[in-house]
Amino acid sequence: MAVMRQSRPGRISGGRSSAWLPALVALLSLLMLPWGRTDRSLLEFDGKLLVLSQAPGLGVLLLAGLAVLVVASLLHLPLVQRGYALVGLGSAGFLAGVGWLVTTGVPFGVGALLALSALLVLIGVGLSESGIIQNDPFVTSSILISSLFVLLFIVYPLFTVLRESIWIKGVFTLSKVQSVLGSPLFISIENPYTPQSEQFRVALTTLALGLVGAVLAARGGLRAGRVFAGLGAGLVLGWIVGAGIYGGGALPTSLYLALIVAPITTGLGLVFALLEQRSRAGWVRRSLAIVSLLPLITPPFVFAFALIYWLGRSGIITGDLLGLKSNFLFGINGVAIAQIFAFTPVAFLILRGSVQGLNPAFEEASATLRAQPWPTFQRITWPLLRPGLAAAFLLTIIESLADFGNPMLLGGDRNFLATEVFLALTGRYDPNEAAVYGTVLLGLVLVVFALQRLWLGNTSFVTVTGKPGGGNFSPLPLWLERTLQTVLALWGLAVVLLYFSIFYGSFVQIWGINNSFTFKHYQDLTNLGLPVLLKTAQLAFISAIIATLVGFLIAYLVSRQQFFGRGLLEVGSMLSFATPGTVMGVAYILAFNTGPWLLTGTGIIIVLALVFRNMPAAIRGVISGLSQIDKSLEEASTLLRAPSSTTLRRVLLPLLIPQLLAGMVFSFVRGMTAISQIIFLISPGNALATVLLLRWIEQGDLGRGAAMATVMIFGLLAVILLLFAVSRCFGRGTSLDAAV
Amino acid sequence: MQPGVLSPQNNPAAVSVKLEGVVKKFGKVTAVERVDLELPAGKLVTLLGPSGCGKTTILRMVAGLERPTEGRILFGGEDVTRLPAYLRDITMMFQSYALFPHMNVYQNIAYGLQVTRRPKAEIKERVVQVVQQVGLSGLEDRPVAALSGGQQQRVALARSLVMQPRVLLFDEPLSNLDAKLRKRVREEIRDLQLELGITSLYVTHDQEEAMAISDLVVLMNKGIIEQQGDPRTLYTRPISRFAADFIGRANFFEGRYHGGYVEVAGYRQPYRQEGISGQVTVMVRPEALRIQPSGEGLEATVHQVSFLGSTTEFSLDTPVGRLEGVVAGDAPELPGRGERVKVQFAPQGMFLLPA
Repeated sequence: MAVMRQSRPGRISGGRSSAWLPALVALLSLLMLPWGRTDRSLLEFDGKLLVLSQAPGLGVLLLAGLAVLVVASLLHLPLVQRGYALVGLGSAGFLAGVGWLVTTGVPFGVGALLALSALLVLIGVGLSESGIIQNDPFVTSSILISSLFVLLFIVYPLFTVLRESIWIKGVFTLSKVQSVLGSPLFISIENPYTPQSEQFRVALTTLALGLVGAVLAARGGLRAGRVFAGLGAGLVLGWIVGAGIYGGGALPTSLYLALIVAPITTGLGLVFALLEQRSRAGWVRRSLAIVSLLPLITPPFVFAFALIYWLGRSGIITGDLLGLKSNFLFGINGVAIAQIFAFTPVAFLILRGSVQGLNPAFEEASATLRAQPWPTFQRITWPLLRPGLAAAFLLTIIESLADFGNPMLLGGDRNFLATEVFLALTGRYDPNEAAVYGTVLLGLVLVVFALQRLWLGNTSFVTVTGKPGGGNFSPLPLWLERTLQTVLALWGLAVVLLYFSIFYGSFVQIWGINNSFTFKHYQDLTNLGLPVLLKTAQLAFISAIIATLVGFLIAYLVSRQQFFGRGLLEVGSMLSFATPGTVMGVAYILAFNTGPWLLTGTGIIIVLALVFRNMPAAIRGVISGLSQIDKSLEEASTLLRAPSSTTLRRVLLPLLIPQLLAGMVFSFVRGMTAISQIIFLISPGNALATVLLLRWIEQGDLGRGAAMATVMIFGLLAVILLLFAVSRCFGRGTSLDAAV
Repeated sequence: MQPGVLSPQNNPAAVSVKLEGVVKKFGKVTAVERVDLELPAGKLVTLLGPSGCGKTTILRMVAGLERPTEGRILFGGEDVTRLPAYLRDITMMFQSYALFPHMNVYQNIAYGLQVTRRPKAEIKERVVQVVQQVGLSGLEDRPVAALSGGQQQRVALARSLVMQPRVLLFDEPLSNLDAKLRKRVREEIRDLQLELGITSLYVTHDQEEAMAISDLVVLMNKGIIEQQGDPRTLYTRPISRFAADFIGRANFFEGRYHGGYVEVAGYRQPYRQEGISGQVTVMVRPEALRIQPSGEGLEATVHQVSFLGSTTEFSLDTPVGRLEGVVAGDAPELPGRGERVKVQFAPQGMFLLPA
C-alpha cells in the first residue's frame, strides 16, 4: 500500500494516495453487494438488499463521499491536508454505516462488511498521511481493523454476557441474579431428607479451617494483618471444603473440585519436572518427552471416557474385579481423577520452565557453605521454585473451573459451574440464567488471575537468561529418586492402560460384555463420523490459518509499533485465552444470535470462535520469536523504501516461519479438540467431531466413540510429528511450551 | 574503488538538511533539547558525544524513525517532519549492519530496488556496478552470514549506496570492527562520500573517527549541542571543559591571565588570547608540554614515563596537580622517575576557558 509518489524532484510531501484502492472497494461493494440480509446466509443476493434500496439516504451520502475520496486520492495533492479529509470523511461514513446497522438491527450483509472495513482502511491511510499517527498506512489500518475485530469478537460478547445477566427484556433488574444465586443448583447446603444438619457441619469445618489458618499465619509473627489474612483464607477454604463435602450446588462443587485437583496436579508436575532434570535413568527422560506431548494429542474428556471403561458401573476394576455396581466414578471423584490425568502434563510443562531456570551454582554454593542437602532444598531450591508452583497451581485451578467435558461425562448428579452455563441455555432455555452463571465463572477466573498478579507481580517467575545454566545438578538422593520414579511409573502405567482401553474398546463388540473382535465401530464411524471429522478438520484448518496470520499481525503491532491503546489491544486479544470456553460460547450465542451482527448457525461463527480462542497462543509464539530479531532489520528495510507491509512479508515472515508453523499446528490441534465453546455454536451441517463424540458417549455408543477417539488421537499425533519433522528441516527447534 | 555511474562529481541531487528547534521527549525524559543544525548539501557532518547525549535520537529523527516532539526538519527547504521514513529518500548504515540473514549478498543489495519495483535489467545493472564499487565482486551469491565483518560492512554500504539516497546516515557503523579494519573502512567511506557528494550524517562516540572523516563535527552533551565546527577548530579552540576533554586529551588547571602572560603557581607563560582575562581555567594538550632540566618553567617532578612504541607518555606532579604529556617516538633524553624538572607550554596547544 505504498503511497504512490511521482518522483518529481523538489516536492516529496505531496502526490497520489493509496487511499484510492479502499475507497474504490467501498464504492463498488456499496453499489453491487447487499448491504443487509434477511436470513442467516451471507451469500444471499437480491436487488432489494442493496444500500440504495434499503437506506437510500445513507447510500447516496456514502457513495457521494466515497466518489469524492477516490478522485481526491488520484490527484496530486498535499499529503497532510488530504489526510485530514480522509480521516474526516472516512470516520463520518463509518459511523453513519455502523449507526444505521445498530439502530435498525438489520443483519449486516457482505457489502456492508466490505465497505465498512474499507472505510476503516481509508481512515488508517488518512491518519498516516496527515501525520496524526506516525505509522505508515498499512500499520495504521491494521491497528484499526484488528482493534475492531478484537472489540467485536472478544470484548463485545463478554460485555453482552454481563449485560444479559442484569438487563432482561430491556429492563435493568437484579431479580435473575438473585434467583440464580439463591437456587439449590447454585448452592445447596441443607438436605432436608437427612437427619443430621449439613449447615452445622459446614459451619464447623469453616470455623476449624479458619482457626488453622489464623494459627499458621500467627506462627510467622503476631501481626494483626497477617493473622486476619490467614483467618480469612482459612474461612474461605473451610467453607469450600465443608460445602463441597456435605452440601452441593455448582459453586461449592466446582471450587472444591479445583481445590482437590490443583495441589495433586501441581505436585505431580513438580515430580516430573525434577525427574526430568535430575534423574539418572534414561527411560525417565524418554517417557517424559511423551508426557509433554499428551495434552496436544488427547481430545478433551478422553480420559474421562476411558475411566468409564475401568471404573464405571460395569468397569473392569469396579465391576469385574470388585464385583461392585458402584456409582463411585460419577460425581466429584471421577471428574477429579479425569482432570488430574488431563492437567498434569500442563502443570509439568509450566514447572519444567521454572525448574530449568534454577541455576545449579546456587545449590553448589549452598553446599560449599556446608549446608546438608535437605536445608539446601528447603532454603535455596524451594523458595526459587515457589513462584513456578504458584503459577502452576493457579493455572490448574482455572483449567479445572473452566473444564467442560469431564464434568459433562462424569459429573453424575453434581452440578458444576461450567456445565450449568450450558445446561441453563440448552436445557432450561434461559439465556439470562446462563449469563449469570457465565458472569460468576468469569468473575472467579479473573479473581484467580488477580491473585496470580498479586503473588507473582509482574516479574517473570522463570529466571530466563536465554542460556541454560551451566554446571551439573547434584542428583537426587537415591530413596527420593526411587520414590519419584515409582510415582511416574504408576502414572504412566495408568495413562497407557487408559489409552489402550480406548484403542481396545474400538475393536470389540461391547466392552466387558461381548469381547469379540469387530470392525463394526469403524464402519459406523465411516458412515456417521467421517463427514463430521472432515468438516471439523476443514474448519480447524481454516481457523488455524486465520488465527496464525492475524496473530502474527497483532504480535507485530503490539511488540514493534508504538501507538495509543497498544496495551489495550494486547490485553483485549489475550482476554479470550483467560475466559472459560463455556462463557465464551454463551457470549457468542448471546451476542451474535440476532441484531446487526447475526452470525449463529453458520460455519463462519465456528471459525471465528476458534480463531479468537487460539490466536493468543500464536501471538505469544510470534512475540517470543520477534524478541530475537534485531529491530534494525525492519528499520533497514523501511529506509530502503519498503512500506511495513513489504517489510512484514519479505523480512519478518521468512524469519518467523518456524514460529508461525508451530502456531498454526497448535491452533489446528486445539481447533480439532475444542469442545466447551464450540458446543454452543454447532448447527445442522456444522456438527463437530468432539461434540459428536460427547453425544455418542452420553448415548452409550462407547465403541463408536472409542473408534472416533482413536482416529483423532492418531491423526493429531501424525500432525504433530509432521511438524517436528518439518521444523527439523528448518534447523530450528520448536518449543512445545508455547502450546500451554 | 573506481568511480562509476553513481558518481556525479558534484551531486545535483544532494540536498541540505536543516533541523529547526527540534525537541524530542520520551515520556518525561528529554533526549534532545531544542537543537538547531544545518547539514550543507554534499558534506559529511558528524554528531559526536558520549552515549545518551541524544546523537542517535537526532539521526533517527532525520531518518524518520522517530518523530520530533517539537520543531521541524527540512530537506532542501521542504518540510519533511511528518513524512514517513520510507518516503524520505535516505538510507542508513546500522551499527549491527542489519543485513537480512535469509538473503544472499545480491538479494540484500537488490532489496531496495526490488521493493520500489525497478525494472529487472536496471536492478541487475546497478547492483553489479555498486558491487564493483565497494569491492565485493564474486561474492554476490554468498549468504551474508558467511562473510567477514568487513565484508558485511561493505554489503551494508552497497545496499545503501545503490538507492542513490538524498541523504546517507551512519549509526556508529564501525564499532563492530577491529581497530585496524576500522581505520581502513572509514577511509573508504570518506573516499566514496567525497566522490559521490552525498549529504551525510555520521554518528559516533569516537572522537578520532569523527575528526578523521568529517567536514563538520557537532559535539553533543546531554541533549544539546555543545559546540560545532571543523575538526581543527574544535581541537584548538574548545569552548568548554567538556569539549576540550571529549575531543582529544587535555590537562586542566587554574591560572591568572593578564598582559600577555598566564601565571601558574609563580610561573609566567607568554600567551595571547582575545576576550578573556583574570582568573581562568588553563587547558593544555599533552603534546604541548615541554620539559627541560632547568631554567624558566613550572616546577615539576616526573611521576612516570611509559614507552608505547610510536609515542612516549609521561606524567608530572606539579603544584597544580598531575599533568599528562606525550612526545613522539622514543625519548631516551627524558628524565627518569622522581627527577625534578621545569615544564613550559607550547601556545598552539593551549586554550583559556573562563574559570
